[in-house]
Amino acid sequence: MDAIANRELGARHAGPTPHEPMKILIVEDNDRVAQFVCKGLRQAGHAVDHAANGRDGLFLASSEPYDVIVLDRMLPGGIDGLSIVDALRRTGNQTPILILSAMGEVEDRIRGLRAGGDDYLAKPFAFGELEARVTALARRNTGPANETVLAVADLRMDLLARKVTRDGQAIALQPREYTLLEYLMRHAGQVVTRTMLLENVWDYHFDPQTNVIDVQISKLRQKIDAPFGRPLLHTLRGVGYRLDGDV
Amino acid sequence: MFRLWQSTAFRITLGYTLVFLLSFQVLLGFLWWRTAATLDREIEAVMAADAQAVIDLYDTSGLRSAVVAIKERLDVAGDRLALYGLADRDLDPIVGNLTRWPQGVGAEPGTYEITLPTPLGDRTARILHLWLGGGYHLLVGRDIQDRLALRRLIYDGLIWSAVLAVGLAAAGGLLMRLAVFRRVDAITRTTAAIVHGDLSQRLPTRRAADEFDQLAGTINDMLQQIQVLVGGVQNASNAVAHDLRTPLTELRGRLEGLLRAPRPIADTRAEVAEAVADLDRLIGVFNALLRLAEIDSGTRLAGFRAVDLGAVAAEVAEVYEAVAEDRGLRFAFTPVEGAGEGAGVMVTGDPFLLAQAVGNLVDNAVKFSPPGGRVGLAVSRAADGGGTVTVTDDGPGIPEDEKPHVTERFFRGTATAGTAGTGLGLATVAAVMRLHGGTMDLADNGPGLVVRLGFKAG
Repeated sequence: MDAIANRELGARHAGPTPHEPMKILIVEDNDRVAQFVCKGLRQAGHAVDHAANGRDGLFLASSEPYDVIVLDRMLPGGIDGLSIVDALRRTGNQTPILILSAMGEVEDRIRGLRAGGDDYLAKPFAFGELEARVTALARRNTGPANETVLAVADLRMDLLARKVTRDGQAIALQPREYTLLEYLMRHAGQVVTRTMLLENVWDYHFDPQTNVIDVQISKLRQKIDAPFGRPLLHTLRGVGYRLDGDV
Repeated sequence: MFRLWQSTAFRITLGYTLVFLLSFQVLLGFLWWRTAATLDREIEAVMAADAQAVIDLYDTSGLRSAVVAIKERLDVAGDRLALYGLADRDLDPIVGNLTRWPQGVGAEPGTYEITLPTPLGDRTARILHLWLGGGYHLLVGRDIQDRLALRRLIYDGLIWSAVLAVGLAAAGGLLMRLAVFRRVDAITRTTAAIVHGDLSQRLPTRRAADEFDQLAGTINDMLQQIQVLVGGVQNASNAVAHDLRTPLTELRGRLEGLLRAPRPIADTRAEVAEAVADLDRLIGVFNALLRLAEIDSGTRLAGFRAVDLGAVAAEVAEVYEAVAEDRGLRFAFTPVEGAGEGAGVMVTGDPFLLAQAVGNLVDNAVKFSPPGGRVGLAVSRAADGGGTVTVTDDGPGIPEDEKPHVTERFFRGTATAGTAGTGLGLATVAAVMRLHGGTMDLADNGPGLVVRLGFKAG
């Protein structure tokens, strides 16, 4: 976050910023999956607790304050992922929850989200995808939804007038480009993956064979970055994109 | 015998035979009652009436009148079968054609059946013996020789019919059992062959279109479906095994190469990144296969709802417009007339699967069109209320001999050489159309390809 964003967004920093450590709970019965997830998140500087079954998971989730809970859907020991979500939400616990599942189809995903999960990731997943989603969830939990202006470095988006400027110059965007940029700006400093963009910007729940996102990103880059020298929209190879004014 | 009893055909046959015989018995009894028995009853009624008339006369006018009446009856009536006799207390005849007390008629009143010797031979007669007042005996009778013969004839006829009926019932039952057994046996033998793995066998049918043919026809349809499904499963697993072997071999080779010959860390990282990309492609193939399996299983039918084809196509167009433009293609989306004014083309289906199917077609069109080419996506309303989604390109098209194969899993046509793809795109479209009961038609665009997805009204 740079100075402009700080001033504009005011109270936004109650929660962790992308670079601040988070406290994360992993509830996953498969040892190897749990190990690689825990190791990766710890290397990124986060504090990670691990529960290998539903009972321990529910106990930790209801007794410790976490920024995000990552929950496997299928768990041994009588309490599965969806019942943990249900139990937590019933007691008023609103900690963001990412559900992991071997079942990846749309209907299944909808069932998981309807049960009270905040996001859903199908196995097998890339670690980068998991990390990006966990970060997005932790941020969503703290960010206010009623700001009227978004800003990253000298790029500004007026949500009421639906106008975008950079360095004072107006930039004309197509409606979809505008939605895409809005999502990137709301997640400024975070990595967003192609599937996150497909789901959240296009509401597109199928698997495009060609990488349609790359084309949209490069078009957007032509408008917001190319004329201004200093690039804000970065590609992270194999993972996704990040809009960042600090780099 | 026990085994015979276990046979349903035998039990049914036996039951029908018994019912048939019982009905026939009832019919015979009725016939007997209506013919022979009626004759007997008539004779007895006539004799009783005659006797009563004579008795009444004797009681009112005395013996003379009774004698005269009998004489008159014998003379006038000319009924040669009628027998009358009036005898005194010593049983000596006074009047009548019974010239002496007939042998076999007792001294006590009653009804007697006797043999009456005549010049023409012995005749059977039925005699009613009654008291007249004053010790006189009245005999009223009838020669029933002819009637007995008739009765005998009826009796014989009925007995023979009964014998014939039993014979016919037995023979008919046997034939019926044989016929049923033959049909059932044929079905049993064919089914046994199928159980042993010969799915190409079919139950024999005749032109009769009877219940057995209907049953056999239904079973044959089922076998056809099973054969197609089993064939599909075999092909699919063969294709999966074959087509995953190549990328897995590449991946294994890449990793093994790293193990065998240590290289600078930068090279190693690049190789690992390539290996991860290989794995991602494999995961993509697995996801596509799982999706295909899920579509084919029909579980998605539960999520079917009213879907606007135009909205689905518009969503796909939005995603691919920029891609087409990026590749220097002209992309034209033609929405249905009146779209956006509440006049969408509504079908019943799964919106995500429909988007996937249309998306795959547009993806192919964009992928195979040469630079500067044209890609079209159009939605139109069919006359019967259904709808059509048409995707056109001016790429290489599909050769006629490859058309039947493009919807097979992992089939990649000659024109796809050098392009990325799993070989599952059109197989998925075909599966989605099967699930929706729609059609998929591949035609020539001269040059290029036209794919039409036809949907029934929903």
